[in-house]
Amino acid sequence: MSNDLLEPFQRLLDDVSPPEAVRRTENEDGAPAIWAALRDSGFVDALVSEEHGGAGLSPAEMAPLLIAAGRHLLPLPFGETMAARAIAAGAGHRLEDAGPVLLWPLDREGRARSIVPPIRGGADLALVQQAGRATLRRVVAGGRDGFGFVTAALDTGSAPIASFELAEDSLLYWAAALTVAAMAGAMAGVLDMSIAYVNERQQFGRPLGKFQAIQQQISVMAERVAMASVAAQGVLARPLPGPAALDVAVAKPVIDAGASIVCAAGHAAFGAIGITAEHDLSLFTRRLKRGLLAFGGAQPWAKALGRARLAQAGGTSVDFIRALQHG
Amino acid sequence: MTTLLDSFVRSHIPSSAEALRGEVKAFLRSWMADRPAHVRARSWSGFDAAFSRALGERGWIGLTLPRDHGGGGADAFTRFVLVEELLAAGAPVAAHWIADRQSAPLILHYGTEAQREHFLPRICKGEMYFCIGMSEPNAGSDLASVRTRAVRDGDDWLLSGQKIWTTYAHKSHYMIALVRTSGGPQDRQAGLSQFLVDLSLPGIDIRPIADLTGDAHFNEVFFDEVRLPADALVGTEGAGWAQVNAELAFERSGPERIYSSIVLLDAWVRHLANLPNAAEHEARLGLLLARMAVLRDMSIAVTARLAAGESPATEAALIKDLGTELEQDIPREIGEALAADPSAPPDEELLRTLAFVSQVNPAFSLRGGTREILRGMIARGLGLR
Repeated sequence: MSNDLLEPFQRLLDDVSPPEAVRRTENEDGAPAIWAALRDSGFVDALVSEEHGGAGLSPAEMAPLLIAAGRHLLPLPFGETMAARAIAAGAGHRLEDAGPVLLWPLDREGRARSIVPPIRGGADLALVQQAGRATLRRVVAGGRDGFGFVTAALDTGSAPIASFELAEDSLLYWAAALTVAAMAGAMAGVLDMSIAYVNERQQFGRPLGKFQAIQQQISVMAERVAMASVAAQGVLARPLPGPAALDVAVAKPVIDAGASIVCAAGHAAFGAIGITAEHDLSLFTRRLKRGLLAFGGAQPWAKALGRARLAQAGGTSVDFIRALQHG
Repeated sequence: MTTLLDSFVRSHIPSSAEALRGEVKAFLRSWMADRPAHVRARSWSGFDAAFSRALGERGWIGLTLPRDHGGGGADAFTRFVLVEELLAAGAPVAAHWIADRQSAPLILHYGTEAQREHFLPRICKGEMYFCIGMSEPNAGSDLASVRTRAVRDGDDWLLSGQKIWTTYAHKSHYMIALVRTSGGPQDRQAGLSQFLVDLSLPGIDIRPIADLTGDAHFNEVFFDEVRLPADALVGTEGAGWAQVNAELAFERSGPERIYSSIVLLDAWVRHLANLPNAAEHEARLGLLLARMAVLRDMSIAVTARLAAGESPATEAALIKDLGTELEQDIPREIGEALAADPSAPPDEELLRTLAFVSQVNPAFSLRGGTREILRGMIARGLGLR
């Protein structure tokens, strides 16, 4: 883990993306000041190769930052913009003046690969993929969804800005990987808040954290947070061009299962105050619950992993999972 | 939490350690070829002295111990590779298992030079087996309340009391026993010491206890004024509590806490591969494999910390709790899947394997520290309590 990058990045997040700023962006659609700080920091070109003017870093080196962004609720498509810039640069297109960019994978028939559209996060552009072709398209605000986020909609009237070939489903794997990395971070955020709260909140004359039942719950949360963090590092471990299908097939089911447990335990720890609109807990849990619905959820990915195992039923499961892993 | 989270940094097994894998696989192919899955599934409880000696001949017991004590001088990653392959194959590791995982590291860290010279080479050859004398009828998770006592008699010690759930005491040469040498139960952790007890001494009575499958691997052990020489004490008198905790940290740190049900899982995979409607079970299989893959990465991350000379006890407890949960879920998931399809019944071998693993799986989260104790440790590591 590249702590040289992580520490300055965390300081930046503390400055530009405190909970009150995050909450404001949910009401106002977009966060130009946060975007400007992020753009100026240079982090969004981290994955672009040095020959194209970027930092030439690997997804694995950026994984801790992507998890940290989720933990700090960074209300922008940070990882998505970073991936879009690297993908486009590889095809000869520069996006440095483009602002935030969303990832928008479609199936061959042109239908979205997720039942929840991307949160707009101030983006005017999306990299859209259908079959083996990626196009850069305009997006507009799509209205507020049931989770309280302003979504994006493809601006079907406008002409594509750029178009290039891209290995089929690359964007789906990137989008799913970045979603679960942000979820892993948000899970850690719930844990951070919960630990602070149970150590402080007194009931029956002592802090909640002194009760064994609460200790067990918090420990279970911590286990799932640690597991999600390693899963997120794993899904981002493959060098560019980036995640493969089975990388997501390992990470998405594990992180989704953990996210449900962490949301439930976090809300249980906070009690009624946690389900009020003004409390920050739901900034995390609304994102997590929405993430569970993204890019197929856990089931189809788990099925793909099981199918791959049955295709090589001869060896042991250790052989199989070793072959999945890399780096 | 920041500290605990930051210690799970994904790592990888270096190629120097991976180099051993092919050799281990080849060795296991010849040993394991004709053993049915329900026998291999007993791995941890499979006692086979000939197998242990064969491992010892190859230098695969005490792999991380120093060479001048008969060990392999290898790093924690090399041991990870070895243990992973042993468990994936369902190798019968019980005879040397405790000596290799707990007793030898304990003797290396806390023993005298004479104790090291006596015990470590014999352990490494696969010729000397150990059991653990921790639990007593009234001291399970609450280990500090042990009542078995050693009192001084001249230079010797006289040991009296009772241990229980002592795995393979009836086939082991030595027990490392945690006993009281001063004070009483009210003194809790103070006044406890560890002894190397030669199980052939007069005054020791070992009685097997059958488990719920009918297997007999654990025992109750009675001590009636057993005379122990002065050099039976291991480590420092009165420091037994700290030593036991270090010992349990060695025990919890390996890849062992993911794979207890892997023989069953792979037997089910072979069953599915011949099933026309296997696709119905792919998601269930994939969910188990996804968890196993991430837990393996977590275990490698902790192994990297061990290889760097650290002692990541809380992290090991965390992986053990998650890992045993997977090990326990595997027989339940497979049972549900098989039961739902009476038109494609499993063969006798798979059904027997399932029966065994689903009956013994509660033990996975009892041995080496219960789930509840581990979660208490994690909570303390998080700054609660």
